[in-house]
Amino acid sequence: MAAARPRRGNGARLRYSLISWGTVGTILLLWYVATAWGWVSSFVLPSPGQLLAEFRLLLLKGYAGKPLAEHLWASLLRTFTGLGLGIAVGVPVGLLMGYSPTAYAVLSPIFSFLRPIPPIAFIPLMILYFGIGEFSKIALIFLAALYYVVLNSSAGVRTVPRDLIRAGENMGLTRVQLFSHVIFWAALPHIMTGVKTATAVSWAIVVAAELIAAQAGLGFMVMDATTFFRVPNVYIGIIIIGLIGVTLEIITLFLDRRLLHWAGK
Amino acid sequence: MGGEVATVTVQTAPPAKIVVRDVGRTFPPASKRSFPIVALREVNCEVYAQEIVGLLGPSGCGKTTLLNLIAGFDRQDQGTISVGGQPVNRPGPDRMMVFQFPALFGWLTVWDNIVFGPRHRGEDEREYVPRARALIEAVGLSGREHDYPHQLSGGMKQRVQLARALLNRPEVLLMDEPFGALDSQTRSQMQELLLQVWGLYHPTILLVTHDPEEALFLCGRVYIMGRDGRIQDSLTVPFPYPRTVGLIGTAEFARLKYELLRALRPDENDQASGGRAGGSLKGGGV
Repeated sequence: MAAARPRRGNGARLRYSLISWGTVGTILLLWYVATAWGWVSSFVLPSPGQLLAEFRLLLLKGYAGKPLAEHLWASLLRTFTGLGLGIAVGVPVGLLMGYSPTAYAVLSPIFSFLRPIPPIAFIPLMILYFGIGEFSKIALIFLAALYYVVLNSSAGVRTVPRDLIRAGENMGLTRVQLFSHVIFWAALPHIMTGVKTATAVSWAIVVAAELIAAQAGLGFMVMDATTFFRVPNVYIGIIIIGLIGVTLEIITLFLDRRLLHWAGK
Repeated sequence: MGGEVATVTVQTAPPAKIVVRDVGRTFPPASKRSFPIVALREVNCEVYAQEIVGLLGPSGCGKTTLLNLIAGFDRQDQGTISVGGQPVNRPGPDRMMVFQFPALFGWLTVWDNIVFGPRHRGEDEREYVPRARALIEAVGLSGREHDYPHQLSGGMKQRVQLARALLNRPEVLLMDEPFGALDSQTRSQMQELLLQVWGLYHPTILLVTHDPEEALFLCGRVYIMGRDGRIQDSLTVPFPYPRTVGLIGTAEFARLKYELLRALRPDENDQASGGRAGGSLKGGGV
């Protein structure tokens, strides 16, 4: 019985995985059939072959006078700069807010006010203040990342078990040591939740910001291609954006496992 | 047997490690509609060097409150507490707490948890590392040094807490129902382990428990607290150390356990004896 169970588990996993691949295959097949048999115009929905050909062209010639890699890099650089700054500022601010009731009282109204506003709503204001250059996009990503990191970090500190802090005090830790050796680590699972959310949100915002105003970047490519009815390019842009999103998710999950292996899932 | 223990106490005549005098603690009301809670009233007790003293009482009677005051996690409203001759005013490694629910640092290995105190106080590694190794051996954690707390059972976690506490060489070890959350078999193992470790290091221990059997098996003396936050009575346990589990089967053990159970339930005593206040242990014959 006990020996049969894992085999049955693996069998079930294989079966469900086959079903999932079946879905992917069906969609690809429908796509191919719909375009090949002319169910939809290739102008509205390009065929897989068209897409591949266009992708090769994109790799060779780039888009709007810039290589594809440059568009990719433009988007990623904005994201990582804004996100990095947001984490660097957000973690200490969040920890302080969670630790000091005074800091919480001072800062929480700002974050409570921001809570219901989607960060994208600030794009026009950012453009008005800082123009359509890099600064306005990075500032927007920074603010959004900051918000998620601060909120989760401060929640993390406030949920540190009281006895853990007492155990630290009991062993004669100074206030600074208590913070760096106990509170920070105990709050780390929450901080990482903030970082994960902030990463996903940052990627969404950079694309949105580029859709509205940019000279380079994947969002710019999608918007520009739409304007000139270059539909295959639009699809390629969307697919790359999705793949990068998945990659970012995998990276944060990997970081999560490395940093939080001790949390016992 | 009892005579021997008494003689030893008189010969050594050690100064009290913990002295609690007229201590009161009242918690402010949680909301406008509720009342202040008096957790401790005029509590007096002392713990002498190398004793295991039990603080026995029903849940919510203020046992843990007293332990927290001694640890310096909380301040009393009335009275004084001193440990090793020094008045208590903040937490410190001279009074190590063993928490009911193991307060281990989950991101650190067993070893790093145990050496946490001396390491962060910047003590000499050559001094504490060998002691840590010996303690790990004594509490039966050999081979688990590199495990993380989430990989340990409840009993194992309490062994880590015990070793961690003792490595700090506290004047007193404060134990808050340390085995209360364990299954009965593990609890009994851990009680024996505590006695073994005590036999090796002779720490002074104040142990909070609601279990009369645990108090009798481990302690040399037991204070009994009532629901009103007063110490109602105390008992000198007549069984000499070293003790083994066999002690629990003796008639004298059963008799004293019954006495303690009765002392913990003064209301039912009233009904049985027709008396008014909680019965004294000395008066309660079988």
